[in-house]
Amino acid sequence: MAPSSLDVVLKGSSGRNTRGLLRVIILCTIAAAAVSSRLFSVIRFESIIHEFDPWFNFRATKYLIENGFYSFWDWFDDRTWHPLGRVTGGTLYPGLMVTSGVIYHILRLLTIPVDIRNICVMLAPGFSGLTALAMYLLTSEMSDSPSAGLLAAAFMGITPGYISRSVAGSYDNEAIAIFLLVFTFYLWIKAVKNGSIMWGALTALFYGYMVSAWGGYVFITNLIPLHVFVLLCMGRYSTRVYISYTTWYALGTLGSMQIPFVGFLPIRNSDHMSALGVFGLIQLVAFAEFIRGYLPGKQFQKLLTSMVLLTFGLGFGGLVLLSISGVIAPWSGRFYSLWDTGYAKIHIPIIASVSEHQPTAWPAFFFDLNFLIWLFPAGVFMCFQKLKDEHVFVVIYSVLASYFAGVMVRLMLTLTPIVCVAAALALSCILDNFLVASTPSTETKAKATTDDKSLRSTRNPVVGIYSWFSKSVVVASVTLYLLLFVAHCTWVTSNAYSSPSVVLASKLPDGSQFIIDDYREAYYWLRQNTPDNAKIMSWWDYGYQIGGMADRPTLVDNNTWNNTHIATVGKAMSSREEVSYPILRQHDVDYVLVVFGGLLGYSGDDLNKFLWMVRIAEGIWPDEVKERDYFTARGEYRVDEEATPAMKNSLMYKMSYHNFQSLFPAGQAMDRVRNTKLPKESPQLNTLEEAFTSENWIVRLYKVKDLDNLGRDHSNAVAFDKGLKRKRATKHKGPRVLRTE
Amino acid sequence: MRWCLALLICCFLAAVNALSSSGSRLLAILEDTEQKDLYSTLWADLEARGYDVSIESSKSEQLALFKLGERAYDHLLIFPPKSKGLGPSLTPKHIVDFMNKDGNILLALSGKSATSSAISSLLLELDIHLSNDRSQVVVDHFNYDTLSAAEKHDVLVLQRPGPLRSDVKAFFDGEGVLALPRVAPQTLGDSALLSPILKAPATAYSYNPKEGTPAPEDILATGSQLNIISAMQARNSARFTVLGSVESLEDKWFSASVKTPSGKKTPTVNREFAKQLTAWAFKETGVLKVDKVEHRLITEGAELNPSIYRIKNETIYSIEISEYVYDKWVPFELPGDDALQLEFTMLSPFHRLNLEPVERTDSSTVFSTQFVTPDQHGIFSFRVNYKRPFLTAIEEKLEVTNRHFAHDEYPRSWAITGGWVWIAGLWSVIGGFLAFVVVWLYSAPVADKLKKTQ
Repeated sequence: MAPSSLDVVLKGSSGRNTRGLLRVIILCTIAAAAVSSRLFSVIRFESIIHEFDPWFNFRATKYLIENGFYSFWDWFDDRTWHPLGRVTGGTLYPGLMVTSGVIYHILRLLTIPVDIRNICVMLAPGFSGLTALAMYLLTSEMSDSPSAGLLAAAFMGITPGYISRSVAGSYDNEAIAIFLLVFTFYLWIKAVKNGSIMWGALTALFYGYMVSAWGGYVFITNLIPLHVFVLLCMGRYSTRVYISYTTWYALGTLGSMQIPFVGFLPIRNSDHMSALGVFGLIQLVAFAEFIRGYLPGKQFQKLLTSMVLLTFGLGFGGLVLLSISGVIAPWSGRFYSLWDTGYAKIHIPIIASVSEHQPTAWPAFFFDLNFLIWLFPAGVFMCFQKLKDEHVFVVIYSVLASYFAGVMVRLMLTLTPIVCVAAALALSCILDNFLVASTPSTETKAKATTDDKSLRSTRNPVVGIYSWFSKSVVVASVTLYLLLFVAHCTWVTSNAYSSPSVVLASKLPDGSQFIIDDYREAYYWLRQNTPDNAKIMSWWDYGYQIGGMADRPTLVDNNTWNNTHIATVGKAMSSREEVSYPILRQHDVDYVLVVFGGLLGYSGDDLNKFLWMVRIAEGIWPDEVKERDYFTARGEYRVDEEATPAMKNSLMYKMSYHNFQSLFPAGQAMDRVRNTKLPKESPQLNTLEEAFTSENWIVRLYKVKDLDNLGRDHSNAVAFDKGLKRKRATKHKGPRVLRTE
Repeated sequence: MRWCLALLICCFLAAVNALSSSGSRLLAILEDTEQKDLYSTLWADLEARGYDVSIESSKSEQLALFKLGERAYDHLLIFPPKSKGLGPSLTPKHIVDFMNKDGNILLALSGKSATSSAISSLLLELDIHLSNDRSQVVVDHFNYDTLSAAEKHDVLVLQRPGPLRSDVKAFFDGEGVLALPRVAPQTLGDSALLSPILKAPATAYSYNPKEGTPAPEDILATGSQLNIISAMQARNSARFTVLGSVESLEDKWFSASVKTPSGKKTPTVNREFAKQLTAWAFKETGVLKVDKVEHRLITEGAELNPSIYRIKNETIYSIEISEYVYDKWVPFELPGDDALQLEFTMLSPFHRLNLEPVERTDSSTVFSTQFVTPDQHGIFSFRVNYKRPFLTAIEEKLEVTNRHFAHDEYPRSWAITGGWVWIAGLWSVIGGFLAFVVVWLYSAPVADKLKKTQ
């Protein structure tokens, strides 16, 4: 009786219910898998915020929790960018912090006291579960096959391209932004399909949320108008498109303008002009459609061409005029660097100095997406076959995102969703065909042969795929690929993307794990041993961490809004002490922090970033700092005996190697990062004194000396303290200087 | 802030114990303690003013400037040694450390014999220079004492010095003449911490009596470039005074009478001048103290010393300063055409304003000014940096944050008359749309009825 009882469950209305239930269970499992695969770092290390930017987000969230929403909105942060301060409330995307704040308060309301740190750590995995669900919804809109959505959700849940930005502790804007991106696109497709104001308004709502969460909202702002524009060009204008687009544009723009950081950008910035242009265009097209109903064809053609020419001329002229007069902001540097990968290196070294802004290496695509990357073109091709409005969207998205992902490593993140959609479409098509397809009846075969309109290759009856053998081979190989994919994703996540980078792990020769915790050691030293408002100068990479972990004011941080101020720090680091000291005094610097990996072989240290400091400083003071001076005559970047005088006298070099030689037998000091032997003598520091050096010498802190009490040079004062006798100027050169009162 | 408080408490404690504002323990270093009787009037005068004088030989074994890392004495009076140095416990390093810990030093030199090299190198650290052979004497053929130095002309007879400049207070002026026998001259470097107390007259020059007339290129300085008494105030206001003629402190010269070539016989005022000089050197005069610094919004009942202001806030700043004169704190008065200035700075001053005296208490003057915070947000500081010759330094720095306008601090839209056009436009569109909707909803379709009747 087993088959019949199974029939009861699988067929008819109860069959639909069963499948629905199964789908829900599968989706829940996928979401759980997505969450749990992101927990490697919590299990291996601890519940800790990762990397750099998340530390700022975490600090901002704590401020929000402590002071409430309105003071967060008006927050003037006087502990960063000393002495300029930062209007933080108006220069951040508050979506992330507000989201975790709301979650925190809801949990409190339910009398579940959870530490805000744990909410922040777990936010990204939690939202990745939601992303998987949103992915299911989006893909289900593209395909009739129920398996496509589930496959896409599963891909999205574990693909490393997305995991790289959403492991537990990676508390960054992208943590919630990718969910919002996918969900906004789902709502947009829904709106275009139904032509409903409600779906359009929902799209605008989630678009507004997205704007509040991530600067990458510009991608949506340009993709949706492009979709509409392409539809119009294809002659697919319909009231559905008109209703959904106008609703989205009007409400979405108003919504986005509510974010203080965005403000009037949507109507003044070139990046947003395409949305405005398409909005105008669609009005004209709608008007033309309306007129067409009342005019005979010939007159209408004339009217249309003249109208098109006129509006194009007017619009283009107006845009040029407004751009020249400065009403519309010119394209930003970050935008240019999207088209010309060499642009940033020449004009904005600060953008180029960030590793995630570098062009993507080819293996990265396979590393992050595995077999999805070769299913992706197939999926796009299948969209061309159907080519309904929503498939046009997939095609456009794929083309744009592929290009951007090639330009910048970090934009791999925007490519990942569409790769999952396309790959799921392709794979579900294969699976459906090979699992479900039954041998066609002779009737349909006959029909197929008589149909002259179809391609010649399809005229012959297709029989090959109906055999049991071909089915099993295909299904087995697909299963194998899927299993390999899971193994690859787990391996990549565990090995590449689960390191907090605040705590470093290495293996000892006997295989046991060795934790290098120098950063936190140094930050806590600062926190416990310095006055509350001691100003710390460091290269901008560590600004957010110092603010978050040491709770001390910093000169520059990872919010690189002021290039000049960063260049000032670069100049102080790359100049001689005599030049640096006045800069340090002027900026009230109490401590200087450098990261030095020479003892341990930690390659991400400041001396390896030093050339960027020099380049950025050179951008502002080309006469005082010159990159060439830091290379030897043969063009080598050296730190050993043959280093150039500019290199040896720079503050960064001196701070890195101060006293380093004393660790080794005389003349044997080795730098393990640059693999060179160092000079015998340790460099002499006069204006700074060593305050703290962490266990593995990764973080070194120096205290800036006060002016000498007796008004001497620091070099003279240090020489006097060492007991050296000062040489008396016996012979005056030139005319004697008389003292006047 | 805590440091200031500690200093204040120190000052108060000191005021209770002694006359000097910074303690009463005075150590006099004499190489040969036998000679102390030569200066008996000086000791008596100092002890009468409340000093706790201990006289030690520089060769003494127990001599130590520091005890358990703290200063053992507050002031140091060093007489010129004949030997090469001052002994192992008074190396230049010890003396510099003593100054770094707020100790005051009065160093006497003598032109009678060569100055020791240790003292010369110590003075070099302070940018005070002696001649190369360290054994020169100042002579003046117009202002010498005809009674005691008719031949050698090396006992200078000079008026007491007036104010250094018109904007500097005079601490050493008065009637009468000084007799300064056998002065070892000093020249000063460019340092702003140095100031001359008594310069040689324009007609004076210096030479080495054992060598005769020097070659022109060996002459270090002449005339008023030579200093007889010079002073140095370190950045922590520790004082270092160099007196060129140790003999002028002797009892003999306290009560002597002198006669210049052109004048008549007059008694010297060396004793009064010694009081002025030691009083200044040991911080009985010219000591300034900041009692209180206040800043607040100008509105009534505003919070005192807030840590944050907004741009374009009207603020008021006041600072209360007293000056120590011999035995009490009195209200500080600015000399002549000097001004006490307040800077409101971020990297560079946005305001630099004169502080006006607005109120006087028994022991202090309140200087105050008000201004509007600049239209630039950032971390600013109220800074008073008052450093003048012979006055201890005032360096007050208070950090405050200048924030931007909060979202609800801008004027509302209806309060801006220029915005009325836009507001009218806005509401007319809304009203027009509502009217349109109403008309649309309630106008009955006429055409249908016509059809029906037909």
